[in-house]
Amino acid sequence: MNKPDGFLKRIMQAIGAENLSLIIALLAMVALIASQTEFFFSARNLFNIAQNMAVVGLIAVGMTLVIVSAGLDISVGSIAGCASVMTALVVVSTGSVLAGIGISLLVGLALGLVNAGIISFLRVNPVVATLATFSAFRGIAFLIAPGGRPVGVLDPTFAQLGSGRLFQMGEFPGVPVAFVILLVVALGAHFVMSTTVFGRSIYSMGGNPVAARLAGINLTRMRFAIYAISGALSGLAGAIVTARTSSGQPASGTQGLELEAITAVFLGGALLAGGKGTIVGSMLAVLLLATLSNGMNLLGIPTFYQLVAKGLLLVLAVAIGQWRMAHAERVQARLTSTGAT
Amino acid sequence: MQDPILEIRDVGKSFPGVKALSNLSMSVHRGEIVAFVGENGAGKSTLLKILSGDYQLDEGSVLLDGVEASHASPLEARLAGFRLVRQEPEIVPDISVAENIFIGEYPRRSGGRVDFVQMRNTVTDMLRRYGFWGLVDIDASGRSLSPAQMHIVEIMRALKQGVKVVAFDEPTSSLTHDETERLYELIRQLKADGLGIIYVSHRLHEVMEISDRVAVLKDGVPTGDLKTADTTEAHIVSLMVGRELEHGFKREETTRDEVVLEVEGLSSRWHDNISFRIRAGEIVGFAGLVGAGRTELAKVLFGEYQKQAGVVRICGQETRIRSPADAIAASIGFAPENRKAEGLILVRSVIENASMAVYSALSRFGVLRNQQMISAVSPFIERLEIKTPSLTQDVGKLSGGNQQKVVLARWLAANPRLLILDEPTRAVDVGAKMEIYRLMDMLAREGMAIMMISSEMPELISMSDRIIVMNNQKISQPVEKCDATEERIVNMALGTATA
Repeated sequence: MNKPDGFLKRIMQAIGAENLSLIIALLAMVALIASQTEFFFSARNLFNIAQNMAVVGLIAVGMTLVIVSAGLDISVGSIAGCASVMTALVVVSTGSVLAGIGISLLVGLALGLVNAGIISFLRVNPVVATLATFSAFRGIAFLIAPGGRPVGVLDPTFAQLGSGRLFQMGEFPGVPVAFVILLVVALGAHFVMSTTVFGRSIYSMGGNPVAARLAGINLTRMRFAIYAISGALSGLAGAIVTARTSSGQPASGTQGLELEAITAVFLGGALLAGGKGTIVGSMLAVLLLATLSNGMNLLGIPTFYQLVAKGLLLVLAVAIGQWRMAHAERVQARLTSTGAT
Repeated sequence: MQDPILEIRDVGKSFPGVKALSNLSMSVHRGEIVAFVGENGAGKSTLLKILSGDYQLDEGSVLLDGVEASHASPLEARLAGFRLVRQEPEIVPDISVAENIFIGEYPRRSGGRVDFVQMRNTVTDMLRRYGFWGLVDIDASGRSLSPAQMHIVEIMRALKQGVKVVAFDEPTSSLTHDETERLYELIRQLKADGLGIIYVSHRLHEVMEISDRVAVLKDGVPTGDLKTADTTEAHIVSLMVGRELEHGFKREETTRDEVVLEVEGLSSRWHDNISFRIRAGEIVGFAGLVGAGRTELAKVLFGEYQKQAGVVRICGQETRIRSPADAIAASIGFAPENRKAEGLILVRSVIENASMAVYSALSRFGVLRNQQMISAVSPFIERLEIKTPSLTQDVGKLSGGNQQKVVLARWLAANPRLLILDEPTRAVDVGAKMEIYRLMDMLAREGMAIMMISSEMPELISMSDRIIVMNNQKISQPVEKCDATEERIVNMALGTATA
């Protein structure tokens, strides 16, 4: 076989070999959809996909940290709901866009800390803890919305957060502001996960919490930071939902986000057992999911089928991860039995 | 004489890097009690696990009552008539004693229902017959049982229909004197019933009292098969340890005056008022039986377990260590014995595993630099001859011996003042073993204080400047290198003689 030249090799390294299958799946899907409808490749549609990615994408960034640390956060959609309502209330009463974004981050962070507290101090398994707050936070979202109804926001500057476009000119529809936010956050998270002590420690604690603790990592402190980040990013996602729909929504627009984010992270190569997963992988998977639902919409496939498809994808994503683990174990068993030390 | 009920022919078993058993031939006759003795790691447990079907043998064969049982599964071994009474029985906490005894073998009624009446009657009969009636309530839940009662349950599990050979693994470790006497009566009764009995114990006086024959194992090789009546405890000990120091390592005295670790009056769940010191440049070996509390002592010092009383000083400073992070900050390193469970992140790379404990030292403003990580750990990866295709290979894909060396590399990279090594060469091949010894020697020479927990006598004697023996929550006076002999240490660990 020919050795790949320097350029190709460098691209491969940047993507990561484990993400190659994702890219192939994405390309195959794009080819399939594009062969059915010409509209798919229009700039408008592509930027629509980018815009739709933003909300799930932000949550999936936080979810990647959580799942790599061997946790799970089911409450992200409910946190986004709370943040969405709070943001609307603050923007309406102060008129300040920055205060709105700030409160969304704060609300998310606080609720994330609640999750971490339940998991760390009450020793409740993360799945159960965040399943409980999944319900409780959704309830709170309705309680803080006056009358349990959506809170309208008619601030045009704030609306830019959801549907604004940058570099708009002539035929070019412009890059969605929300997508740019996702890009910045994802790049930052990628840097944190791959090069900082905090990021590497997340991988360690997810791979083997006992060994991580014995190597001096404070698991409780890590857990608080991880769930707080996941919460804050969910809060920010909630603010974008508010901006896009011009209203603080206790439920609509933020329901089911946990399913999509968790699916994306597993599809992106994370393991349920923790210790594996990358931001790049998760973002590719978010793109794949956004493209899939865009394609299904373009092809006129009813929503109910889409729900079934999403469920199947989650099972498929985890099954692939399990298969990979089993495969790795077989390789090790073979090494051991042939006496290769 | 009749044919033996259990015949073991030329049995061998290897694990990566170790030969756990080789050329073992043994037979047990009906109505005979055969004791297996040997040091930790001599191969006794391996043999029991082969017989019970937990492990599969590599060579040789096992005949049970004339029937080939070499490659039995646990269920097949049980059906063939072999029963193991485990040292630490698995008791299901929320079901009754009767159910615990019949677990997996519930007597049935039609329609797949459990025949509780028959089960209770059988258990009652068994307890009466074997003299345990009144010691344990058959309706009590597993959770409420004392260690001795759990042991009775485990014994009753073994004595069901069709049993031909019963093996007892350290049966008296959780029993009082009276209970031990009762166990002896039971064993003699089983002997009279014509069962074959295997008795594994560290306690030689028990072996002398109960057994008909003693089989001695050393490093997986049989070194003696004697009639108990014709031998003495001292002779058995010499067969257990009497090996040449073939892989010995010569160390020079490098101890300095500076005391690195000083422990005063330390007590915990496992320890009672322990005091000792380790100086710079000194290797102090900790000997003792498995379960003597050595690993627990290491974990108390490292902050993984909490102490109840006592003072720990590092370099003269009283230091409060409440977590492993505190310990690392106080310049202590700890390479645990159970590397897969406690030492390694199997799904992460060699370089991450090796540099984990020094992340903060290698980072600037929390950002790690790859180049520095590589230069911090690769010298040790090379010195330990860790065989890995690359530094980014997942540790889980390395062989066992290499995985262990990665944990050592981590602590060598951290270069602490006090390094605690728990069984540093377990399951490491001979070449790597020598390399680890050389490194330990070099580190001591550079002034590191090393606390080495080991169950390998040659290693303890050749590497330690002083040896401390743990037994029964306490420690012995340190034995100086010049006074240390294998027999003396083994006797101290067994509690058969006081220093």
